[in-house]
Amino acid sequence: MSNQKQALSQPAWNQAELLERVDNDQELLLDLLNIFKEDFPRSMRSLDSAVAAADLKGAARLSHTLKGMLSSLGGTRASAAAGKLEELASIGETASLKDAYAALEREGASLLPELNAYMAEVHH
Amino acid sequence: MKILIADDDALSRRLLEKALERAGYEVTAVENGKQAFEQLCKLDGPRLALLDWVMPELDGPGVCRAVRTRSEQTYVYMVLLTSKGSKEETVAGLESGADDYLTKPFNAEELRARLRVGERILLLEDRLVEARENMRFRATHDPLTSLLNRGAVMDLLTRELHRSYREQKSAAIILGDVDHFKRVNDTMGHAVGDEVLIEVANRLLGCVRSYDFVGRYGGEEFIVVLSNCDPDFAPARAEEIRKAISNRPVISAKGPVPVTMSFGLLQTGEWGLKPLEELLHEVDIALYEAKSAGRNCLRLARPAVKAEPAPPPLPQSVRLRR
Repeated sequence: MSNQKQALSQPAWNQAELLERVDNDQELLLDLLNIFKEDFPRSMRSLDSAVAAADLKGAARLSHTLKGMLSSLGGTRASAAAGKLEELASIGETASLKDAYAALEREGASLLPELNAYMAEVHH
Repeated sequence: MKILIADDDALSRRLLEKALERAGYEVTAVENGKQAFEQLCKLDGPRLALLDWVMPELDGPGVCRAVRTRSEQTYVYMVLLTSKGSKEETVAGLESGADDYLTKPFNAEELRARLRVGERILLLEDRLVEARENMRFRATHDPLTSLLNRGAVMDLLTRELHRSYREQKSAAIILGDVDHFKRVNDTMGHAVGDEVLIEVANRLLGCVRSYDFVGRYGGEEFIVVLSNCDPDFAPARAEEIRKAISNRPVISAKGPVPVTMSFGLLQTGEWGLKPLEELLHEVDIALYEAKSAGRNCLRLARPAVKAEPAPPPLPQSVRLRR
């Protein structure tokens, strides 16, 4: 099974993995989620512009950063989608970039409600 | 221990920061390679660094290369953080000067273990530097008094002679010998003799400026070199040194020991550029005369004919045409 396919069989957000990484520190986890909610849309906007302008170097760098950010957060599927986009940008596959970006956007969209639900639950 | 984190992703940065603070590190976090390099260049900056591979301004391998080109500073142990997986990239990272690499997302336990390796390497480096410094000190200093030893004084004096001659200045060489030192050893024991030598060394050091130097020349013989010393004042300076030794007894474990010293003084400006051995022989004769004259006094080594001063240095343009 490829990494991509492996990732697809994973949940959008691997909460257990992240909790282990933060040593079950809920406060830190919330802190990370807040950072993510602030940084992710901004990085996606920059990436969108880079893809629209066919800026391969910029798209590769931004998707690399997103890949790391998402993987640190336990967003395995979205991280894999960012990885795919990075790979395409690195080999100059300009034609496929928009689709790959759309896929990443979808994965991001499925991740955010899970994060919001968790945050709402913790706050209650 | 101080540690630097450089990562442009705020989330990874926060995650690392917290993990490292928990492990007891003093963390500095920056968001690009340029800032990382600046932190690592600071005199008391971190010596452990976790560097993300892909960063704006300067990437992780770029920081490693920049840090490794500075040879004068202490070693920095650098770990590259990477989500890049290929062997070629790992090799390129290590070739850039990184000590280790860690794949993102990191496992906290593995991170701590790898940093402990880094700490061991840094500790080893500290020990080596300390041992080297100790060896350097031992090679150039007298173990009893911690003054410069004879070899180190000879080296410094040779340089001082040339410098004084070149700059048309005079240095004062003062050779001193503790009077009746054998009697102190014989009557009060060698331990008291050692106490006397240590106290004499301290008093001599107390008499000189920071750019002069004092050495133990032999058993109870000491040498003082006063750089750029006005010939009109040199005898008075030597006289001050003599008085600093004789004006009060040395307080030893077995009671006060009266101590005096005899001195020979030579002013290099009067002799011109002569071999060091010849000048030392002359000042030794002057010291012997002081001993013969009843000790606790100073005698000057004067040449039969005063040397002409060194010719003034030629202008740069003239020297270049030669």
